This record gives sequence, C-alpha cells and structure tokens, in this order.
Amino acid sequence: MLWGSRRAKAPIAPRAPTARRTRPVTTIYLDNAATTPVAPAVRTAMAPFLEAEFGNPSTRYALGVRAAEAIDRARELVARAVGARAREVTFTSGGTEANNLAVLGLARQRGFHRSRRRNQLVIGPTEHPSVRASAFALRDEGFEVREARLLPDGGLDLEAFEELLTEDTVLVAQMLVNNEVGSVYPVSELARIVRRSAPNAALHVDAVQGLGKLELSIEELGADTLAISAHKVHAPKGTGALVTRGKVDLRPLVFGGGQESGRRPGTENVAGIVAFGEAARLADTGREEGVRAMAAARDAFVRGLERVPGARLLIDGSPVVPSICAIALAGAPAEVWLHHLEARGVCASAGSACNAGKKELSPVALALGLTPDEARRVMRFSFAAATTVAEAERAAALLAELATELEAVQS
Amino acid sequence: MTPGLPPPELLLVRYGELALKGGNRAVFERALVRNIQHATRDVSPVTIARTTGRITVTPERRALEVARRIQDVFGIKSVSPAWGAPLEPEAIAEVAGAVFDDALADVPPGRIVTARVRTNRAEKRFPMTSTELDRFVAERILPGPERVRVKLKDPELQLEIDVRSERAYVFLKRLPGPGGLPVGTLGRALCLLSGGIDSPVAAWMAMKRGCRVGFVTYHSAPYIGEGSKKKVLDLARALGRYQLRSRLYVVPFTEIQVAIRDSAPESYRTVLYRRMMQRIAARLARVDGYKALVTGECMGQVASQTLENLICIGAATEMHVLRPLIAFDKEETIVIARRIGTFDISNRPDPDCCTVFQPARPMIRGKLAECLAAEDQMDVEGLIDRACAGVETTAID
Repeated sequence: MLWGSRRAKAPIAPRAPTARRTRPVTTIYLDNAATTPVAPAVRTAMAPFLEAEFGNPSTRYALGVRAAEAIDRARELVARAVGARAREVTFTSGGTEANNLAVLGLARQRGFHRSRRRNQLVIGPTEHPSVRASAFALRDEGFEVREARLLPDGGLDLEAFEELLTEDTVLVAQMLVNNEVGSVYPVSELARIVRRSAPNAALHVDAVQGLGKLELSIEELGADTLAISAHKVHAPKGTGALVTRGKVDLRPLVFGGGQESGRRPGTENVAGIVAFGEAARLADTGREEGVRAMAAARDAFVRGLERVPGARLLIDGSPVVPSICAIALAGAPAEVWLHHLEARGVCASAGSACNAGKKELSPVALALGLTPDEARRVMRFSFAAATTVAEAERAAALLAELATELEAVQS
Repeated sequence: MTPGLPPPELLLVRYGELALKGGNRAVFERALVRNIQHATRDVSPVTIARTTGRITVTPERRALEVARRIQDVFGIKSVSPAWGAPLEPEAIAEVAGAVFDDALADVPPGRIVTARVRTNRAEKRFPMTSTELDRFVAERILPGPERVRVKLKDPELQLEIDVRSERAYVFLKRLPGPGGLPVGTLGRALCLLSGGIDSPVAAWMAMKRGCRVGFVTYHSAPYIGEGSKKKVLDLARALGRYQLRSRLYVVPFTEIQVAIRDSAPESYRTVLYRRMMQRIAARLARVDGYKALVTGECMGQVASQTLENLICIGAATEMHVLRPLIAFDKEETIVIARRIGTFDISNRPDPDCCTVFQPARPMIRGKLAECLAAEDQMDVEGLIDRACAGVETTAID
C-alpha cells in the first residue's frame, strides 16, 4: 500500500484527565480604549431595527419613514454629544472612515488646483493610522505632508507646530486625545494658531478617544470637522460619524444614491446608527459620573503600581484622560506581560490595538523619549465607567505578582 | 461567455506521465480522483470518470470554478473545460463554431488573431483522419482573413477536438495544473509548523511530491497568546486546499522551555528547544503513523541553522527528516509563500515560541556533546511525556 497504513493506536502518553483549558471565571476588562462592551440600553434601543423595523429609510411607506425618523433622532443625539447641530452630523462606518473622509475630502476640496501654490498638509505627531495613512496617500496627488512633534513631557509642541504652518497649508489634522497614552492635546489653542498662521487651512480633529471622557464642543475646539466612533462608547462596531462645524465643503469618498446629504451615500446602517445615538446620549448625560468612576479606577491602579518594581507612567504631569493609563514595565516585553495577565483574567493591551497589525514600535513611545527596548515594554490599561476600584487594584496587584515571576525573562 | 454558449459539459484533466512507470497507475489515478473530489467538494458535486490516460470531471454546476480548484490539485498537468458533440463531423463543427465564436468575442474588433484547429483521434473508426477533420471544421468555423489568420505554430487560439469512442470534445484552453504527484501516494509526513514563512512552504513542497502532511506546532502559554495559535491554525488551513483532510497538533511547550532556561547554558537554548520539538514530533509521528518529519530548515539562514546546529538538531531523533528548503534563498521561499497564500499570514506580528527566553547571543556552532550534557540535567522523557499528554488536536478540513 502506498500511503500511510493504519496501525493500531498506541497511547501517546498517559492522557491528563480532561485536559480542558482552565479559563478564569471572571474577566477584568481593561482595554476599553480598544473597544467596549455594548450597553444593555443600547442593545434594547437597536433591537427593533434588527427585527420588525427593517425598512429602508429612503422608502416612502410608514415602515421606511419610521426608520428615517429613528436616524433623525439618533443624529440629534449624536450632535448633542459634541455640541453640534443635527445636520452637521454625517454617519460613517466608523472612526477610520470619518478620519479618511475628513482628510481626503477636505484636502481634495481645498487643494489649490489651479494656482502655483504648493498644497501642504500638517498632521499631529501622534495621529492615528487612519489619519496618517490618508495624509500620506495624498502625496500621490501632489500634496506635501509635514508632521508636528511632541514635547519631552508628552505635550504638543505648539511653537514647532506653528512653524510648520504656511499660507499653502490646506489642512491641519490633530487628535484630541492620544489613543496610546491618553494625553489630551490643546486643540483649541492650536485652532487659534491655525487661523493665524494658516489662514487657508481647515482643522480636522480626531476625537474618537475623547467622546464620553471630555466635554466635547466642536465650536469651542474651533475644529472644522470632528471624528467620533460608536464602539468606543458601548455601541456595536461599524458606526462612526464625521461632524462638521457649519457648512464645510468636502469631496465624498463614496458615490451613490445621495444618502447622508451625498457625503456618505449608501443605505444607512439603521440599527447601528440608532445604537450610536443611544450610546452617545448615555456617554453625554452620564459623562460626569462616568469620568468620576474612571478616575477612581485609574487612581487606584496608579497607586497599586507603586508595588510594581520598575513600572512607571508614560505621561506624568501633562493632561491625560481618566480612561487611559500607559505604563512602561521592566523585564519582559509587553507581549509576555499581556499573556500572563490574560492567563489571570485581565485583558489589557501592548501598545494600541490600532497598531497591533504592525511589528514596528509605537512612534508615540519613541517620541516620548523611550529607548526601543523600553518601547517594547509599554502596556496600556484603559478603563470604563463600569470599571470598579477593586478591579483596578486587582490588576495592579497582579502586575506586582508577575514582576517577580517575569524578572528572569529577557526582552 | 456569450449567451449562445452553454457551460462546458465536462473538464478534461491530464496528469503527468512520470508516475505511470512502475505499474502504479491505478493507485495514482484513484488518489487523483479522491483529491479532485476533495478539492471541489464545496463548489459543486462532481462525477469523475477515469478513461485511458486522463480523467474527466463532470460538475453539476459552476464548471469554471471547479476547473480553477482542480488547478491546485497536485499531480495534474492541465485541465480543459470542454464541450461535447456527437460523433459526426457536422455536429462537431457546430459545437466548435460556438466555442470559437465565444472566444473571438473577447478579441477587440479590427484585430486579427491567429488560430488553428487540431484533432486528436483516439477513436480510429471515425470516418475522417485527424487532418481531414481539422480542415473540415476550420473551413466551417473560421471567419475570413480580415479577422482570423491560420497559423499552425503557436497560434493565439488553438481549438482542439478530441475524438473519443462515445463522443467528441471541443476545447480551447489548457489551464495549467501544479504538477507534482497526487497527495497521499507517497504516504504521510508530519510537518513542524511555526508561524514563520519557511515551514508552510516546506509543507507545501512535501505535498507537491505526494506526501499527505499533518502539522505539529508548539505553544508557550502564557508567554505567547492565542493569536499565535490561530496564526498557525490559519497557515494549516491555507495549506489545506492543496491536500486532503489533515490535523494540527498543538503541543504545550512552556514547561520544556522553563526547564531548558533553568538548567542549560543560555546560548544553547534555541538548539535545545529544537531538539525537543523534533523528539516530540517524532513521538507523535510514530504513534499516529506518519513516516517522516518535514521542517522548514534552511542551511545558514539564521543562527540556529548553521551546519553544526542542524547536525545537533538532526541527531535528536532517528526518524527521517525531510528539509525541502535546505538550499533555498529567502527570496525563493517568499516567492512560493506568496503564490500559495501563506505569506501574508506568516507576516502577522504574533510571535512564536522560539522567541520565549531567546538568548542574547545564541550559539552559532553548537556541539552535540554540549547538547547531551545539558539534557543530562533534565528529565527529557518526563518532559516529553507531559508535553504529549497535553496535546490539543484540531482537524483541518
């Protein structure tokens, strides 16, 4: 016989009795900057639109009209959460699409196609890949891209930023809250600088990590456009929004049947949009209470870090959101810490999930002056309103426990 | 396809002649039939017939997609979607005309294409010789010289007619197969699969020469995560389309790595890991009936693969080890990895267990005596027993 004869099976080795994986019963979820669980109220709000209320909002009978009304309501709620008017909200598939639409749409609209001026984009030092990559893609269309830089303490270097701005700058993109380390950047100050030194530029602000953590007002920020995402505030993945201040002209990325005022055509994700509306309402009305809870959890975690040898906060002194705490650890690389924590029931992240598809080191960590070796040992813990002080304390205690165990592991 | 042409009646599948020498033909053909059945099972039910020197596959639906799947089956030289006709010159010419017009519809107007008709007459009772039928059909179907010019050598369109005892078949394309030998005809081998670029290519090459390949990988929870396990599983699944059902053994490796870290010289860690991996693979192979091991080892590619280290690793077991990539440059491996669809999976950032406790300065020229001395400090058999007892097995469909 030519291929594998069947032999009687001898046991490989004494089998362990039910070699089932031991999953910890409770999970302490401290990766809320990556995504959040869907809130029960959000689920309830969206459920009808996955069942009986399946109408296409562009149709004329009651079933469709009800769907259109639900979208209007959600638009109102999302607008309210960022201090905008309903008609200034364009729903997208998420934060990434909102950032793409702003960067590509604004730059293409405002590029001085017929003049001899250069077209420049200036982006913040730590922009999310959806902003950075969009900006760099515009190089093929003749745009020049400049990047601002951080101060050694993690703040935004506004003076250096201003030097990059010229009359040829058509777009400035700066995130409000850093997704890896939680820094809150002085966007309204930057807005003033932009108006002064780059009079032809629009300002786009990625506020994905700010929703529900900071009081957002597109007007006070002085931004022309603002990107937010639903799944960071307890709604499902797949919905986001680009908010504009007043009437802002931008070129759409998608063409079709005119939905979302032609800015983002395609039959609307009704259930997702309704969920986003409810989640935005909860994030807005519950913000102060939520922030108190997050801050309590973060403070407890930071106190607990004192017992973790070699651990230190990445941002200490300059403003941060209460939801994010990034730390540099000693000894083993972050990946090893992460899986040891996972085995003990704690979910946290090594760097940000947005960069997880890459092998490169976090540019943010490097910009903060960390050595490549230190940058490999950066972990991010991120809290939600539901995170308890006990959970945060437990996570810090586990880090202390692991520090001894992982001492021997080299990076 | 123009509306005038129905889907192909069947697929003519040709296989390499090499394996036909030793009277293995029946085994070879049976394996091919089984492998074709497996490769097409999620596209359409197919009826497969073995005729002299070739296989015909009659799909119930999606014939062109079935043909594409067959192009991945090892042992196959080429496959042609074909249209059948009764054994009469007029009827053959009619079908040939429809097939030819359909192909001509893809040619921009105004461009002249070269073409020929070529008959292969297995059924010698047919009333015309091959050349006569060529002429007969060509005269009826080829449009004027403003559109088509006859060219006997390397024409752009070659319409072939196969005259068989029951029916004639008309086809235009010979879609290339991957060559090699049918998976399974050379037996089963067990491949040590990491998340890297090399080992999936090594597994593919073993399949190409007729091995049915099982997979074994090593996992060091909680030093590496579930993502690493999924990466290897995805690699095994990606390779699944080139063979039959298979399985992946996931071996818990943490205890062994800790033991090596604690009792062996740091620089020897990597070599000792690999010796243990090979021993475990050999044990699994013996028990489950695999005849040999397959590794992605390549001479001189990384520190652990110097000739000295390969000797140290190879000496760990008596089971034969196939190293299909031994003389490959990295670029050559990558070309194949891209073609077979494993490259992007291998490029995901999830680490594999060799990175755990990775020595700062790995031993470049390991000595077997040193390996043996280090292993004397460990309960090698006990470690292997416990690792094998904790194996998780996943079926790869």
